[in-house]
Amino acid sequence: MSAPSMEERKACWGARDEYWKCLDENMEDASRCQKLRCSFESRCPQQWVKYFDKRRDFLKYKEQLQAGEYQPPGTTEKS
Amino acid sequence: MTPDTPRRPGKLLPPVSWVRNQLLPVLIPSLRPFSQGAPSSGGSGTRLQLRTRLLITCLFGGAALGTWLHLRSEKERQQKLQRIEDLKKVAIGQGDFHLVDHTGQPRSKADFLGQWVLLYFGFTHCPDICPEELEKMSQVVRLLDQEPQLPRVQPVFITVDPERDDVAAVAKYVREFHPRLMGLTGSPEHVREAYRVYYSAGPRDEDEDYIVDHTVIIYLLSPDGLFLDYYNRSKSEAQIVQNIRGHMETYQTLFS
Repeated sequence: MSAPSMEERKACWGARDEYWKCLDENMEDASRCQKLRCSFESRCPQQWVKYFDKRRDFLKYKEQLQAGEYQPPGTTEKS
Repeated sequence: MTPDTPRRPGKLLPPVSWVRNQLLPVLIPSLRPFSQGAPSSGGSGTRLQLRTRLLITCLFGGAALGTWLHLRSEKERQQKLQRIEDLKKVAIGQGDFHLVDHTGQPRSKADFLGQWVLLYFGFTHCPDICPEELEKMSQVVRLLDQEPQLPRVQPVFITVDPERDDVAAVAKYVREFHPRLMGLTGSPEHVREAYRVYYSAGPRDEDEDYIVDHTVIIYLLSPDGLFLDYYNRSKSEAQIVQNIRGHMETYQTLFS
């Protein structure tokens, strides 16, 4: 299976961003964003769906940390 | 000579008048005017003497400073020569790689000598970071191309996932970023070899597993093939361009 082309990548990112926007608006309630979730899963390779889900979790976690007193040190980005 | 003023009996400290009339004039000749028997006829003579002293002091001071500066620059020159010799050894001894570019042509380190190179390690199945960094790198190249007095930079992408990224996959990938972007791939052993050549020269990453993790770094290589600088995710296109321009302007080849 060859990697997604640039166009396919951008379609995937767009679907992901819409799904995430829906989650933002619905307090992370995934049940309200089913349609966008389906769209996201169909446009992105399965590995990427998993990766982006983990990334979302990480970003939310980071937000929570930063909202509190404790500021975590910068972490090296890994793909 | 002024006559000694008689000491007051019982006093251990020299009287003020003695300090003023005997001690100070010796230390500061220009204070003599009021005492009897001053060595010269008046103020101008002592001022000339003072100026002469000052001039001599300045000359000695200047000579000392000059010597010190000369010795320091000599030392710096020696250190610089030593550094160049060390770098030459690293440039030659830094190992080689044997990869294939996205047109199927074999490539090794020698192919890039004489060119400035921007190098990025990534893989085509990378979800977001590699495309973003390659887009950034391509934009840097486009911006530098707009300055005709600067040498052209060769952007290079080396896959860290040779099992999936064969020549065709790499060709399809690099084509979408910049026409000059060269993709390199090869056998897993050869890719590991190439990664070691540059990885050891770059900043350390905690994780050595190059398939799953890789340093998100864009490397700048000089025309001598030496690693000169690196740019991480936080560096913008403008910052990188400025940095590269600076390196190009101050660059002097080791091998001339």
